[in-house]
Amino acid sequence: MLFAQLFINGLQTGALYALIAAGFSLIFGMTRIFHAAHGATFTIAGYIFYECYSVLHINWPVAALAATIAASVFGVLLDRYVYSIIQRHEGSFFTVFVASFGMAIIVQNLIAMIFDRGAVTVSTPLSKSLEVLPGLYVAPIAAVVIVCAIVFFMALQWLLTKTSMGIALRALGENPTLIEVYGLTPRLLSQYVFLIGSILVVPAAILTAATSGLNPAMGNHVMLISIAATIVGGVGSLRGAAMAGLILGMAENLCLAVIDPQWSEAVTFVILFLFILFRPGGVYGRAVVS
Amino acid sequence: MIAYLQNIAVLFCINAILALTLNFIMGYAGIFSLAHAIFFGVGAYATAYIAMHASDSLLLCMAASAAISAVLSMALALPALRVRGEYFVAASLGLQVIGVTIFSEWKSITGGLGGMIGIPRPKLWGYTFNDDTAFLALAIVVLGIVVGITALLVRGSFGRSLMAIRDSESAAQTYGKHVNAIKTLSVAVAAGLAGVAGSLYAFYISFINVESFMLETSILLMAMVIIGGTGTLFGPVVGAALLMSLPAALTYLPFLPPTELGSIQQIIYGLAMVLLMMFRPGGLVGGRSKEKSA
Repeated sequence: MLFAQLFINGLQTGALYALIAAGFSLIFGMTRIFHAAHGATFTIAGYIFYECYSVLHINWPVAALAATIAASVFGVLLDRYVYSIIQRHEGSFFTVFVASFGMAIIVQNLIAMIFDRGAVTVSTPLSKSLEVLPGLYVAPIAAVVIVCAIVFFMALQWLLTKTSMGIALRALGENPTLIEVYGLTPRLLSQYVFLIGSILVVPAAILTAATSGLNPAMGNHVMLISIAATIVGGVGSLRGAAMAGLILGMAENLCLAVIDPQWSEAVTFVILFLFILFRPGGVYGRAVVS
Repeated sequence: MIAYLQNIAVLFCINAILALTLNFIMGYAGIFSLAHAIFFGVGAYATAYIAMHASDSLLLCMAASAAISAVLSMALALPALRVRGEYFVAASLGLQVIGVTIFSEWKSITGGLGGMIGIPRPKLWGYTFNDDTAFLALAIVVLGIVVGITALLVRGSFGRSLMAIRDSESAAQTYGKHVNAIKTLSVAVAAGLAGVAGSLYAFYISFINVESFMLETSILLMAMVIIGGTGTLFGPVVGAALLMSLPAALTYLPFLPPTELGSIQQIIYGLAMVLLMMFRPGGLVGGRSKEKSA
């Protein structure tokens, strides 16, 4: 029964990780921007939802909308007023990464100043665990998480393969110079990528707020998980990111059957480390040419 | 007041050593490591363990710290040989998280989350560095030696090989450079010297726990190097001095609420990183148009 419990927990964590990683993977795959502030987007969305829903008692669709707007405004402005300026004069990925990291530090500390350093949880009627089988506890929100992940992935898949904007975005990932020849503007498309990527993080942020709670420093963990899942899954492959998010979430929970919980985060990164050493292209990725 | 300034000066020396060594791999070899705090930590724990269980001889502890850090740095060299750019940053992040977990969970050696308390001051030829002024002198001497070593290495043929590898690995290989050996050696040197800094830190503070070796430390060190200027000899020292004096300067501003000082300090770091990357990516010391490859 312990195994079944860990499996369900793993599925829930994995679905959340898949959603988190999808946004990062999309941004990184299409624009090659190492968006370390993705975790900051997540924290912003989570706290805005908390403020609206638990403190101001606004009903949840409006609160979710507010969180979505906050996240997408943050992502798009960051791309427009920080990343694009850096990319104009220097292409080095590390420069962008450092700026992004600086941004993540700023957001984390601003949130700590505004909302306090302690953890907050959004309690919803769905968060309470029910005993499904003797000794097996499942909260209804786990089902919401999984359904959410599936719905968002299908929507994203449709957007990227069936619409002309999706095709333009994929072209941006392939060859940013060539698409200018076809009369498209890489800068504008890059903003769409940030818009979509930032929106993708919102459901994960809200659901995390409702399951395990928020704290200002959690952006770091979100960033680490998205980087790990993107690389394990293969850069540029959404399917890979989703799969890797699921694998990492599962591994983090299933390993609890054999080792102490303090080590579970290390398990994720041992997996990442092994992938980088032996299969840097990831599960679905192309070969890495440095 | 003097004691306070002495304290800052010693910590400045330690951070300057760390920034210098990080710059050695970041600026000259193009290895962007986010796991530097781990080697700092390895050095500190090694010194603490030896000083408390075996001998408090300065030279022995420092040499052991440097050696252990250098050997463990192979864990960082391995991915550095395989992948570059984003992939390496991710690998070093992974290493950082794994290292912190080991520091806080390997209780028999590292004392777990509680850390190690009561590390004795070091002895050198029968003299014990109990006095803080003497310790400051020691720290300055060690900093001087580290500056000397990195300057020698960078100016010599080894440094030129490193820069050649940074700028184009295949070109360097074509000219008969042993790319893998040079990269591995540079990582080992940087990690070993970071271990020395760790050793100094453990002796000075006499209490260590995992808090000092977290991702935040690695990022702070990276910020020092970048704000000062990557690939310049004195940039990291300038960066360390700036970032070390910032918290001290903030405490003198009366209108800031003391409870938020930490956050405000962090926000200033972050802001400095963002603005510098936007308008002066070469750092304060480096030239504006400095071309870096990644």
